[in-house]
Amino acid sequence: MRAVLKYTALTLFAIPWVLVPIWLVVVNSFKPAGEAAELGLGLPRTWAIAENYGIVLDRGGYLMGLVNSLKVTVPIVVAVVFLGAAAAWAFGRSRSRWLQAAYFVMGLSILLPPSIIPTVYLLRALSLDGGSLGYVLTMTGCRLGAVIFLATGFVRAFPRDLEDAAAIDGASRPQVFVRILLPLLRPVLFVGSVILIINVWNDFFFALFLLQGSANATLPLSLFQFASGTLQSLNWNLVFAHVLLTTLPLVAVYVVAQKRVLAGLTEGALKG
Amino acid sequence: MVMRNRAAWLPWALPAIVLVTVFFVAPFLLNVRFAFSSWTSFRAEITWNGLENFRTLIDQDLLANAVTVTVLYAILCMAIQNTVSLSLALALQRTSGINTVFRSAFFLPTLISPLAAGYIWRGLLAPDGAVNSFLGVEWAWLGEPSTALVVVAFIDAWKWSGLITLVYIAGLNSIPKSLLESATVDGAGPWTRFRRVVFPLLAPALTFNVAVTLVGALSAYDVIAATTGGGPGDHTRALNVVMRQQWGQGFFGSASALGFTVTLLVIATAVPLVWWLRRREVTA
Repeated sequence: MRAVLKYTALTLFAIPWVLVPIWLVVVNSFKPAGEAAELGLGLPRTWAIAENYGIVLDRGGYLMGLVNSLKVTVPIVVAVVFLGAAAAWAFGRSRSRWLQAAYFVMGLSILLPPSIIPTVYLLRALSLDGGSLGYVLTMTGCRLGAVIFLATGFVRAFPRDLEDAAAIDGASRPQVFVRILLPLLRPVLFVGSVILIINVWNDFFFALFLLQGSANATLPLSLFQFASGTLQSLNWNLVFAHVLLTTLPLVAVYVVAQKRVLAGLTEGALKG
Repeated sequence: MVMRNRAAWLPWALPAIVLVTVFFVAPFLLNVRFAFSSWTSFRAEITWNGLENFRTLIDQDLLANAVTVTVLYAILCMAIQNTVSLSLALALQRTSGINTVFRSAFFLPTLISPLAAGYIWRGLLAPDGAVNSFLGVEWAWLGEPSTALVVVAFIDAWKWSGLITLVYIAGLNSIPKSLLESATVDGAGPWTRFRRVVFPLLAPALTFNVAVTLVGALSAYDVIAATTGGGPGDHTRALNVVMRQQWGQGFFGSASALGFTVTLLVIATAVPLVWWLRRREVTA
């Protein structure tokens, strides 16, 4: 009886919290502009699916945004995961004072907000401003700290016997890294990349300052430009179609991997 | 043995150290200089000008309001997010089929970009939108000074609550069952068990979540950009919103000063908070 009450309450909460927002987006992205302007939750009286999504694909810069988002997200995640794991190995095993000092700085970089304006200045000085390379390097530099911090804790908690044994057997350091360290760090690197992918895919603030022109615009930037393009009153049908298409890739990945994502995030890769 | 050779570790950490130094530490240090420098699009030369940027921002009534809005916003976000997430975590703590379905559903908003979340709720909360027609009122939630900031903070909390819930579930599941059982044997009811056993032992997750949500919300921008743009008036004009405006108008020094203010707020919030919350952490 108490369970019934609990799940009724949870369902009543989930309806406005999850279902209604999603429904609003989906159903209004199927309506013509005038009808979507009412922002109702009813089914469309006239369906305008092809028109709306056609406009978003055509004028909304969706496909270019998708390519640009992939073009920055993949390198950032790969760089953060591999460079972060390598650094975490060094920080976890070395007793050098210098490296420990560097590790402390990595920790600070998690907490302190990145300084966006001097970053623009710096990228301009390096002739990297406006394009995706500067953005990738900046995001990598700003996100490495968190993954290094999590992974170093893992390395330290793990005895080094396996690594030593492999070294005695003649394995080179890169071999030890690939065969022992990476598999050992897999859970924490997985959780790290889940959060990283969500953050980078959805990043708007950095992109707004660092990426210039529609040729470089990632999906959030393209959504913002598209929505801001129509002054004052939004074209809700088109904005929602863009929102849906922007969110869809991440949701698709999540649907496939949700078991591992949820288990990874709840089984305490954050402990320590 | 090779593995114990000190110098040999440096190459492994070097790429990460270089990237963090060039793209995080260097801008951070430059910001300290730019915040106290004259630098505009009209005069590209960067020269030291002391507190002039801050003085100008204060004279324009921008700084004090932005700090107040940012701090209030962060507190609201933290409070809403942690209340919702801890409640959900308590309800969904046990790993079972039905709980997994709910966890998965409540995680969905986390996948949505804060910008898109802003547009979605701007639609739901429009004067003639679904929320008002359900409540039978006609209230401009985002247009009225009394509700705009709370609503914007709510949207931010909505977007992140799914993730924070999972961190709380991890924290709850790390509490030894034996402790709860012995508390029950000693006659503790559900409320006493929560207050005396669960809550104190949840401190690491609580530390993490409170710090992360507060510090994250001090850098608020996206949701505000998608909903109010800083309005009505200046009621949701957080520091980063003013920073972007100053930047857009070519006042780069003032924009840096605002960024530096965010950094100061983060330090002032995070250091005592982590220290205080860590002190009341107990171990099982």
